[in-house]
Amino acid sequence: MATASHRQSVISRALDYLRDLARRREFALALGTGNLKARNANTGLGILWWVLNPLLLGAVYYLVFGVIFPGRRPDNFLVYLLSGMFVFHFTSQSMTGGANSIISNAKLLANLRFPRLILPISALIEAASGFLVSLGLLVSIAVITGQASITHRILYLPVVIGVHLLFNLGLGAMTARLAVPFRDINNLIPYINRIWLYLSPIIWPLSFLDDAEPWVRTAIRLNPMYDFIGLYRSALLGSPIIADHVIGAVAAALVVGFLGIGLFVKYEGHMVRYL
Amino acid sequence: MSRPALMVDRVSVRYRPYVDRKPTLRRSLASLRSRATTEVVALDDVSFRVEKGEAFGIVGRNGAGKSTLLRVMARTLRPNEGRVVVNGRASTLLQLGVGFNPELSGRRNVYLGGLASGLRRAEIDQVFDDVVEFAGLGEAIDRPVKTYSSGMFSRLAFSVSMHLDPDIILLDEVLAVGDAEFRKKGIQTMRQLLERSGTIVFVSHALPQVVDFCSRAMWLDAGRVRLIGPSADVVEAYQGSLR
Repeated sequence: MATASHRQSVISRALDYLRDLARRREFALALGTGNLKARNANTGLGILWWVLNPLLLGAVYYLVFGVIFPGRRPDNFLVYLLSGMFVFHFTSQSMTGGANSIISNAKLLANLRFPRLILPISALIEAASGFLVSLGLLVSIAVITGQASITHRILYLPVVIGVHLLFNLGLGAMTARLAVPFRDINNLIPYINRIWLYLSPIIWPLSFLDDAEPWVRTAIRLNPMYDFIGLYRSALLGSPIIADHVIGAVAAALVVGFLGIGLFVKYEGHMVRYL
Repeated sequence: MSRPALMVDRVSVRYRPYVDRKPTLRRSLASLRSRATTEVVALDDVSFRVEKGEAFGIVGRNGAGKSTLLRVMARTLRPNEGRVVVNGRASTLLQLGVGFNPELSGRRNVYLGGLASGLRRAEIDQVFDDVVEFAGLGEAIDRPVKTYSSGMFSRLAFSVSMHLDPDIILLDEVLAVGDAEFRKKGIQTMRQLLERSGTIVFVSHALPQVVDFCSRAMWLDAGRVRLIGPSADVVEAYQGSLR
């Protein structure tokens, strides 16, 4: 009896929270787009930098691994590399943005009452806007260079993005929650990102997995970015959809998404004390 | 008797500096071993009520817990003990220009500030012109806020808060900004709010203003209520303690 009523209250509390969030959606959007605009207000190229950053990084890696050390590369290495780069960049931006979202809005938190999840959500909106532009760029490059053809699989793209958004939100909420009491996280994130990048199929071709040590292969297969990047390549570059990727991505999104959001919401009443 | 606009019931807030405030990894690891930490009591068993249509002043030295109390009333800080009951839409003006982004134009910031405080975009559309006029900004509304003088900034921020149409306003020293004319306008607006039976809680070091403006006041000393009563009496007792 007591358990039942407790469960009821958890569900109704979650619904209240969602209603509250939905009511403040205009605020989340204004905050995200405002930050996007403000961040590049003083640069000549403005918002273009969001696309230029992964593009230039991709160019550097292309120079190193495609030209200087060519080795065994897939024929479509340029779009292979850029697709991985853009998808990875979206996740790493969500993580960095999430970690900063609470700390950089300390004044807002101390003064106003609103569902705190709005802050990581607005960071996600900021990262997602750039990501969508970079996907457009990727498709254009793929078509122009003829390294990939657009197939009916592009219809899966909205679903892939949806699952990816849940994953990124959970990750952003988790780092936001951790970064409030443990500012040290902000120093660690760049290194986590770097290792994660190397463990993802971006700068090395998939054939690399065939001769890798078994434990390396396992580590990479457990990496959710392996699944997400695989799904995006199916949707955008026309490679076949692999069931493992679907299962891995959905499972990762559900676990990381709900765990991250849950941890964040449970803690949000105490955040002001640490700022 | 009608419901009070605001009721603070036996509220205590404690901070644990060095462990609770900023527990970096190292401090957390250290605190696993020794739990001995000194607690700072910011508010100790504070109770009072503010009626509808009342202006209520809070005075006290720096560090007496005034800002912490306002945060508890704004319900951005959960007290360790006790509860706060608010009847109505509370607008908090603990600091000016909350939610503003200095890189963006005044126009965008009016929307950001309004949305941050819980208005909808359509509601802001309706009051936008009044906000700009009240702030006296004219064409400057389309310039980035970082190019504003501090007076212009405060005027815009204050104007946004005044147009949120709140039932309860919590003010923390914000009338100390702007030039004399703007201050006069601000006081006028707040009197109008009181006439509409709105409620104001007013924290200030400008003691004559508290006497002039508030009917009742509270003297907070080291987190405890020293005195609650007519504002003139409370301010007099507080001033007496300063000498």
